[in-house]
Amino acid sequence: MDNKLIFLVDMQSFYASVEKSANPKLQDHPVVVAGDPERRSGIILAACPIAKQYDVETAEALWQAQQKCPDLIIVRPRMKLYIELSYQITQILERFTDQVEVFSVDEQFLDLTGTERLFGDRYTVAHNIQDEIQEELGVYARVGIGPNKVLAKIACDAFAKKNEQGIFELTHHHMKDTMWKLPVGKMFGVGSRMEKHFSRMGIQTIGDLANYPVQYLKKRWGINGEVLSNIANGIDYSPVSTQTHNGQKAVGHHMTLPRDYETLEDIKIVLLELSEEVAKRARAKNYRGHTLSLGLRGANVNDPTGFHRQIKLTSPTNYGMDLFHAALQLLNKHWDGLPVRSVGVTLSQLQSADVYQLSLFNPSVEKDQLSKAMDDIRKKFGQTAIVRASSLQEAGQVFDRAQKIGGHYK
Amino acid sequence: MKILIEREPLMASIQNVMKAISSKPTIPILSGIKLEANQQEVTLTGSNSDITIESIIPSEEDGVVNIHEIVPGSVVIQAKFLPEIIRKLPENQVELSVDDDMNVLIKSGHAEFKLNGQDTEEYPQLPVLQTDNSFHLQIDLLKMLIRQTNFAVSVSETRPILTGVHLKLENEQLELVATDSHRLASRKINMTDTDGLTFNNVVIPGKSLSELNKILDDTQEPIQISVTDNQILFRTKHLYFLSRLLDGNYPETSRLIPNQSKTVVNVNSKDLIESIDRASLLAKDNRNNIVKLVTQGQNILQITSHSPEIGYVEETLETNAIEGEELKISFNAKYMIDALKAIGTDQVSINFTGAMRPFIMQPDEDDEPILQLITPVRTY
Repeated sequence: MDNKLIFLVDMQSFYASVEKSANPKLQDHPVVVAGDPERRSGIILAACPIAKQYDVETAEALWQAQQKCPDLIIVRPRMKLYIELSYQITQILERFTDQVEVFSVDEQFLDLTGTERLFGDRYTVAHNIQDEIQEELGVYARVGIGPNKVLAKIACDAFAKKNEQGIFELTHHHMKDTMWKLPVGKMFGVGSRMEKHFSRMGIQTIGDLANYPVQYLKKRWGINGEVLSNIANGIDYSPVSTQTHNGQKAVGHHMTLPRDYETLEDIKIVLLELSEEVAKRARAKNYRGHTLSLGLRGANVNDPTGFHRQIKLTSPTNYGMDLFHAALQLLNKHWDGLPVRSVGVTLSQLQSADVYQLSLFNPSVEKDQLSKAMDDIRKKFGQTAIVRASSLQEAGQVFDRAQKIGGHYK
Repeated sequence: MKILIEREPLMASIQNVMKAISSKPTIPILSGIKLEANQQEVTLTGSNSDITIESIIPSEEDGVVNIHEIVPGSVVIQAKFLPEIIRKLPENQVELSVDDDMNVLIKSGHAEFKLNGQDTEEYPQLPVLQTDNSFHLQIDLLKMLIRQTNFAVSVSETRPILTGVHLKLENEQLELVATDSHRLASRKINMTDTDGLTFNNVVIPGKSLSELNKILDDTQEPIQISVTDNQILFRTKHLYFLSRLLDGNYPETSRLIPNQSKTVVNVNSKDLIESIDRASLLAKDNRNNIVKLVTQGQNILQITSHSPEIGYVEETLETNAIEGEELKISFNAKYMIDALKAIGTDQVSINFTGAMRPFIMQPDEDDEPILQLITPVRTY
């Protein structure tokens, strides 16, 4: 189980590398991909290695980066292009194995167990992967190799990214001399808060954690404590799954507003848009959901307010208005009236849309027909061909968002 | 205050009023039971925001002495420990006394409990119901009405009004309706001597009714029911059960009931319950608990269910008669079993109007006007 050959392939400064290879003039300049500085999305999404030499960091505000490096070239993100390229990378990787798991837009796991006789030893394969991605897409890839996903991931993050070849293998054998020396915060699954807890317990390195009696970890954090101890010991049984996006648990949509919304009227407009969006995506995936949750964050970052609440719906649905009414009920009940920075709507307890309980009061058949008509119109004439009239108001975001993916321009 | 009381009637009364005591009360004192003693009787009270229950123990009834000694007074005692304390006392008689500082002393045999009581001054004034809108029912009949309808109330808070049972009295006919929007249960009975009393849109929380049903014994004694705009009172000789009513308009349900049918199946209830129960063994895993029913010829029903990951079950059932069009329909097995159990007669007749329309079930003999309606599950 635990002795497979797993690769984690990671793209260096993915968005920035893509932009640089698309525009050779940028090649020798410090480049960052950043959102619109006029808006909240004005943060660094990716910085190229040259920019990183100036200490520009991912996720910092654009103005901060510009102070560090005045010659910085700023490129607007093109999310659609990145997603397409990510897919092309998957296709390249699939030349080596059919077991490819898309972990994120720029990281993918490969299970290469038993392919040695086909493509040569692991280092040869890793070089070939790097070469093919470099040649075809102009992006530099790093490869972490391990006997399971966790070690491959740590091999890549902690070592391959730092060394010359961009390739590193972590095995159970020399894990103690390498991984165990790392600070515990470098470990997969340990965030800043967890790191603080560990530090208070005298756990500084991954090795400390690995040797810490597991029963105490389990007592304090339950299953997660045991999982973390296993990871520190290089134990991980999770398979490379080609179906990351199947068997979904929830469909959700979240948006950070362009400005703080203060009135119920304004919030209602985006709430309806989010509900319609979630309903549309649930329909596209052939789901109905039975539980709706609404998350809302207050505008004041220093004094965080907001809530995350859920409600059980009368019956499973994928009709936008049903979601909106439930979300509005939650909003009316839990909103403290303070300005709002972001809103998210999620539909969960999903089940197949094909089978559903009819209702006495809800004309569900008519709702289905209406939804289908709207979906068909959108498919034929575009996402904004049919929108709710309320979206025409100033607070509406549909037209703006129709041009974006993940809050950034396509 | 001091009483010397038989343990059993005290225990029974405590259990009755406990039904109204919430573990998280809105006012802290409502986590207690109020005890009041006067020369003739001891009254226990429990209350929450929805219901209030008073249980009365007469000092003597039908020659049986319940209370041997009474010094009038009152106190509020924490409800959390009281039932267990009283249940486990060693003797059949309990002496309960309260001093001026509200310290409660419970003595039985050699056991002594000292509990901290509270002054009844702190206990909220309970609403006094003033109405002339009263009628009587037999307790066992009321319990049956509750059993036949209350299971169909909604458990979802999305439409709060549906969490209650709708009560209507009109033309000497009392009607109870409950629906969770997927199924509906309706029961009517003819009343006499209601003195022309009529009301409509009285919606009793389903929870209140199920607590009431637990408290009432299956007897033929009468229960008085009084209705106001926002409360309903059920009163027997020794019990006073007050419930809040639900706000809002109950939907008009009579138009939901189809008055014609395309397929009529007449079948033995017990056989049908059993075969649907078997089929649903495999269906329980999926959310809608779906069982499929297909008519075959003049008198055979085929009942099937399948879960892709588990397996398939099929069974045929001989009916008394099937009339009308052929039919394939899917529905939630639990709804069907609940409804058949509520009807409770040997034979039922099921009236279908197509695979996508609600169907109704009624007893074969029409002497009891009970109707159960179920909306099917749509499968593509």
